[in-house]
Amino acid sequence: MRRVITLGILIIICFVLQSALFPFIEIAGATPNLLLIMTVSFGLMRGRKEGMLVGFFCGLFYDLYFGFAIGPFMIIYMIIGYCNGFFHRLYLVEDVLLPIIIIVLDDFIFNFLTFVIFFVMRNRLSFGLYMKDIILPEMIYTAILTMIVFKFFVFVNKRLKRAEKGSEG
Amino acid sequence: MRRRRNRNRKRIDISPRYFLLGLTGLCIVLMLASLFAGGIFAPVKEFTNTFVQPMQKGVNTIGRWVQSKTEAFQNYDTLLKENEDLKNQLETCQKQISSYQQDSYELERLQALYDLDTIYSDYKKTAARVISKDTGGWFDVFYVDKGTDAGIKEGCNVLYGNGLCGIVTEVGTDYAKIRSIIDDTSNVNGMVLPSESICNIEGSVNNYNNGYLVAENIDKDADINIGDQVVTSYVSSKYLSGLNIGYITKIEEDSNNLTKTAYITPACDFSKIQEVLVILETKKTVSE
Repeated sequence: MRRVITLGILIIICFVLQSALFPFIEIAGATPNLLLIMTVSFGLMRGRKEGMLVGFFCGLFYDLYFGFAIGPFMIIYMIIGYCNGFFHRLYLVEDVLLPIIIIVLDDFIFNFLTFVIFFVMRNRLSFGLYMKDIILPEMIYTAILTMIVFKFFVFVNKRLKRAEKGSEG
Repeated sequence: MRRRRNRNRKRIDISPRYFLLGLTGLCIVLMLASLFAGGIFAPVKEFTNTFVQPMQKGVNTIGRWVQSKTEAFQNYDTLLKENEDLKNQLETCQKQISSYQQDSYELERLQALYDLDTIYSDYKKTAARVISKDTGGWFDVFYVDKGTDAGIKEGCNVLYGNGLCGIVTEVGTDYAKIRSIIDDTSNVNGMVLPSESICNIEGSVNNYNNGYLVAENIDKDADINIGDQVVTSYVSSKYLSGLNIGYITKIEEDSNNLTKTAYITPACDFSKIQEVLVILETKKTVSE
């Protein structure tokens, strides 16, 4: 229960930061995708199921606010969270490199899917330009932010684990 | 204790795979529901907004502070250089002033004409502050802090600077969602002014990054020139007529030899929108 509440609050904080603060600190038109970092982090630290659920709610918030329909981004975030669960076995607490490699890949996949769903369907095909102008800056920015934020998520996860152990024993 | 552990294990044993399938199904159902019966999620949105929005407003002030600080920091380096440049500019400007004084008489005459043209000075408007913005690079959608309480309706046109900025696509009691005309899904029916030829102005991320909007489907024989003003047309179903959009900077003939494409420099700078004017009147539509 404690975990559910903490994660819920974290998702809301991430969403508020992403929608209200990040537009002010954009560099070259790019802003980091904090919701994606959150989804990936928990997928990685906790496995498929939790990654999937965190992704589900992150996507829900995004769609409620900025989507034209509820659902598309939910599916994208959810699948990314789920897939990251497969890397759970490779995950070590001290390792920072793995999350960064994964987040860069994920951000690419996320934006590529966005491109396919919303742009290719409307016959806008110049992928090279979109790659250069939108995807690449966001990937780099997100990767940089991951280095900082991931540590925080690891810390939160550790505290939660300790609390859970305490209540069981 | 044992029973409890058993129960726990049972709960975890639902395979994540099926869980994923189930949730995906749920998403698809939600998607269809929101596409075909758009209104049913309005209460959910209203609810989340009531507790997210105050936080966004608070964080916004932090954001503005950070921005002003970083700008001040950046400015310091450029100020000296700028000062030098400005001194040079001043000299050339003074020379130009004398020639402009002659032009100003002409301007006065033209301004009288222009006053006739600006029909939107008598629309009722309300000012609103931007509170949050879609952060991906793909779309250009933002929220402002006024809604139905201030008289805003869906379909209201939004002005910024001295031109059209976007349209309200969704509205709650104290917020409104605005899609700007540079958004990739935006489509405005426009008119090139002296010749009154109709065109279709599509938003596009790509083109805006290069600094212009694109007006398509202009008749090949239309008499348009570089520098012509582009406004919303009287046949547009969503936009009030005569709102300034921008000025033509480049004209190209299409390969089909029937139409022309014009590149428009927008009248407002979309990169730093903080306050906008919302026109409270909406276009009258004929309902059959």
